[in-house]
Amino acid sequence: MIWRLVAMIAGACAILAGAVLVAHESPIQSLQTLFHGSLGTPAAIAGTLREATPLLICGLAVFIALRAGLFNIGVEGQLLVGACACAVVAIRFPGTPGMILGVIAGMAAGALWALPAGLIKAYRNGHEVITTIMLNNVALFFTGALVSGPIKDKTQADTATPYVAASSRMPWVYQTPTVQVNFSLVLGVLLAVGLALWLKKTVAGYELQAVGSNRVAARFAGISPQKVTMLAMTISGSLGGLAGAVQVLAYEGRFYDGFSPGYGFDALGVALLAGGSAYGVLPSSLLFGILSKGGTALQIDGVPKGITTVVLGMLILIAAAIRYRKVTTDA
Amino acid sequence: MLGITKKFGAVTALDRVDLEVSQGAIHAIVGENGAGKTTLMRILYGALASDDGTVEVETHAVKFGSSREAIQCGVGMVSQHYGIIPELTCLQNLILGAEGGPILRNRAAEERAKMLATRMGFEFNWQAEASTLSPAGAQKLEILKLLWREARIMILDEPTAMLSPADANALFVSLDSLAKDGATIILVTHRLPEVLEHCSRVTVLRNGKRIDEKAVTETSGSELAQLIVGGALDKPEITSSFRPGDRLLEITNLTVKGNRGDIALKGVGFNVRSGEILGIAGVDGSGQRELFESIAGLIKPVEGAISFAEQDTAGWTPAQRIAHGLRMIPEDRHAQGVVENWSLDANAALGLQRLKPFARGGRVDEKARHRMAGEIAERFNTKHGGLNLQMSSLSGGNQQRFVAARSLCLNPRLVLAFQPARGLDIKGTQKVYEGIRDVCRSGSAALVVSFDLDELLEQCDRVVAMNHGRLLEPEAHQAMDRDAIGRLMVGAQ
Amino acid sequence: MLNLLVLTILFSTPLILAAMGGFTSERGGVINIGLEGMMLMAACVGALASAKYGAVGELVAGILAATVMSLLHWLMTQVYHVDHVISGMALNAVAAGGTNFLYLKLSDPAHGSDLPHIPITAFCVIAFVTPFVIWLYSRQTRGGLRLQSVGSDPDKARLMGIQPVRVRFFGLLVTGLLTGIAGVELVAYTGVFTDNMTSGRGYIALAALIVGGWRPIPTFLACFAFGFFSALRLQLQGTPLFGAQLPSQLWAALPYLVTVIALAGLIGKNRTPAGLGKP
Repeated sequence: MIWRLVAMIAGACAILAGAVLVAHESPIQSLQTLFHGSLGTPAAIAGTLREATPLLICGLAVFIALRAGLFNIGVEGQLLVGACACAVVAIRFPGTPGMILGVIAGMAAGALWALPAGLIKAYRNGHEVITTIMLNNVALFFTGALVSGPIKDKTQADTATPYVAASSRMPWVYQTPTVQVNFSLVLGVLLAVGLALWLKKTVAGYELQAVGSNRVAARFAGISPQKVTMLAMTISGSLGGLAGAVQVLAYEGRFYDGFSPGYGFDALGVALLAGGSAYGVLPSSLLFGILSKGGTALQIDGVPKGITTVVLGMLILIAAAIRYRKVTTDA
Repeated sequence: MLGITKKFGAVTALDRVDLEVSQGAIHAIVGENGAGKTTLMRILYGALASDDGTVEVETHAVKFGSSREAIQCGVGMVSQHYGIIPELTCLQNLILGAEGGPILRNRAAEERAKMLATRMGFEFNWQAEASTLSPAGAQKLEILKLLWREARIMILDEPTAMLSPADANALFVSLDSLAKDGATIILVTHRLPEVLEHCSRVTVLRNGKRIDEKAVTETSGSELAQLIVGGALDKPEITSSFRPGDRLLEITNLTVKGNRGDIALKGVGFNVRSGEILGIAGVDGSGQRELFESIAGLIKPVEGAISFAEQDTAGWTPAQRIAHGLRMIPEDRHAQGVVENWSLDANAALGLQRLKPFARGGRVDEKARHRMAGEIAERFNTKHGGLNLQMSSLSGGNQQRFVAARSLCLNPRLVLAFQPARGLDIKGTQKVYEGIRDVCRSGSAALVVSFDLDELLEQCDRVVAMNHGRLLEPEAHQAMDRDAIGRLMVGAQ
Repeated sequence: MLNLLVLTILFSTPLILAAMGGFTSERGGVINIGLEGMMLMAACVGALASAKYGAVGELVAGILAATVMSLLHWLMTQVYHVDHVISGMALNAVAAGGTNFLYLKLSDPAHGSDLPHIPITAFCVIAFVTPFVIWLYSRQTRGGLRLQSVGSDPDKARLMGIQPVRVRFFGLLVTGLLTGIAGVELVAYTGVFTDNMTSGRGYIALAALIVGGWRPIPTFLACFAFGFFSALRLQLQGTPLFGAQLPSQLWAALPYLVTVIALAGLIGKNRTPAGLGKP
């Protein structure tokens, strides 16, 4: 697991350096900025962990769908509706009940948002990639319309909901000058462990992976691919919604227009680089967090943020190509 | 072809085989499954390269590196599994690969196609999608493909396997007329009656060696059968002292649609009693697959009933059937039976994952699963390097052993087997059937589908035949009579 | 009414081009989610080139950029056997980040929106002619037949002496050409490159291809319909419907909603090429 992370970081550095070289910047300088900006100071580390949290939960969402043979590209939209729903509900209930209800609302909204794609795939065999991408856009506009109108905080100029009561916010587990860890991160780690165990130790998890690995053989084994598809998409969607709810309750405090910088899209990369185990999502999301936080630092330095996305895209391609190499040399 | 040798790893598929065919002849190559017939032809056709030996076509030495080169020399093959692409039209299938230029002249092509077809007595709707063709139609199209490419040596691999007697006769009429026109036809088959009636010479292969070659007029069916099989087989004595019990599986008036929308099973009715192994004989494509899958619950019948231990199974999911004791040895272990990149441990549970001891209340019992996997592997001596290794590390035969053993686990009540001994040698086949018999004798039943009639006659208690979607039982006094059942298989009476 | 028609033509033009590019890829068996990224890359590189090399340079550069992307997709899927969807999404990510990076780094802010472009009418004409060309190609040429055979059953096509990998190479080459033109059209229309300016058009084009059953003319009609809905949005935005002021976001979401509904309503024959995704 550690080796994986190390290899990925090394690869990312190499690609980053190369790309930066192409654009006539100093690669060493850029790498320094990247690492300092993400891991150099306690504030930086806190920021990296904060970036990594939604990536972790979203990554798990995509991961579980992948294990069932599905590409849920719609996590972005599920996150948005989840965040929106959570904000709306949590505002009404102060204290811990507000937080819990907010989480439930977020998960339900996310699951609901993934439902059409799941149904279309299970019963019409319509490829879920397109439907989920389309629903992302619909989610963007739908939540945008809501937050500009019905749920907008009328007392402010921002296109946002009112703030959730402080008592409903997700607590900080550690809050010292050097280390800051929010409960949301703990929640994410617990989810990763929980998913890994669920996949390994339950019959339902076994059947889900069977469908993802060999759909026909799964049928012969008495498993219903349609039921599994629906289950996987529902779980995946609810995790996406959870990520959104967590964002509101832990970090943002409210929902606003332009809420997500694209966590859902990065989540696909997180899941792909995680390999075959849910535990792999942990280092993978950390890597993405480093690149994201470091990328912001780079931007201040004059290197456009897009470079980190390029690096991640190429990492995915190279990792996939290497997997092919491995298979052919083993055989 | 002289001295052709071909090895696949440790297996010698062909050992210095000679073959001489005269022009204008219809020459048969016969032998059991695995004798090397198809391998030899694939070398001639360019799909395989021989390790040793020479090939001469019309006195020119040739070495085909690809089927393309073979076609250019006038050698073409119609394989057992037709190369027709269903989504394209008949005409497109005909000309694909031999279009005659970058721009297609569809009208001219259709003219030529019609001409070739009429010459052979065939008829096609050229603009229709090839998915509408029957097996006989697809075969005719395959032959036309060879004619289109002006093949002078035509290889047909098991051409009548999927044809009705009428279609088979029509095929031979066409082959005769082709031979008269000067084409050379090589027929790979294991149907001796056809060889005796239509061919001029026959070559016998056994275990990769050429045993003999004769003119058809100088030999007989029994002599050929002797040459093919070799010495008399040690037929094990099946203790026929068992008495079948109650009806375990009852099928009434079963009508099922195939995946081309046609009716694949027509009013099939029969029953299986506890204790017995019922063999289902028939040419491939007679509806066995649909029967297998509808009993398993994978296809919903249009009409009819399947009842198991006096209970109507209508609406039962495959999972429910498994829970009631249904077990399967599917036809294609790779696509239907295993997950290649899972470990043997994980594969042991496939199909049984909800049953004790594999699972306890929704949770996987890994220790028990590991133990079961070990038992499954041992039962038929599956050679493996470790239960935690991937299934793909096993050879095909060992995978089959594993899948077969798995199906006999955990008190099966009805075992559905589709070619259970596929890829196994004689000893392995014996063991698998013994295992099935043991399970049956303790009160269960088995349904075995196979394309090898002799295997069924040897191993099953009762054999029925399927033909064009209908199930036919032989008369009581001819219950295990090879000829009688063979006739039912091809629809002759 | 005329305005609506003109707008429909304008909006459907890039969709048609991208969808036809998708056809030459998918009908040959290569799943192509990456149309979005190819268009985006073409738009960016084209805009950058336009400052230096003029309108023609813009087109050429854009086509080259898109072709590099599409050939990368070929390499990944046909040589390295990477899952087609993963390759497409990864390439989209590379394009999204790459265009952001390249444009901010290399563009000259002084020029901005006064760059030379090929007139839009030319693009529209090309877009509306292309489906018929493609249709003729698939019916009347050897290359078209082989493309279809490889997409329907690559194994059987191999038996007939055809090399799927090679056929797909040329298919993806044309994909690059057409998506390149589509991307350049976007820049020519708006005048300047903006981050993520394709905003999902590549996916809509793919949806049109699916709804059109992977056939050129029905796909063309689907693109036209999607363009119509976009045009309708522009026309009706702001005007009250059923006596209520509908938010602008509803209209923005319309094309995407319509796509989902179209995909859900796919009844009858499933026309997915049987060999899609097969090596």
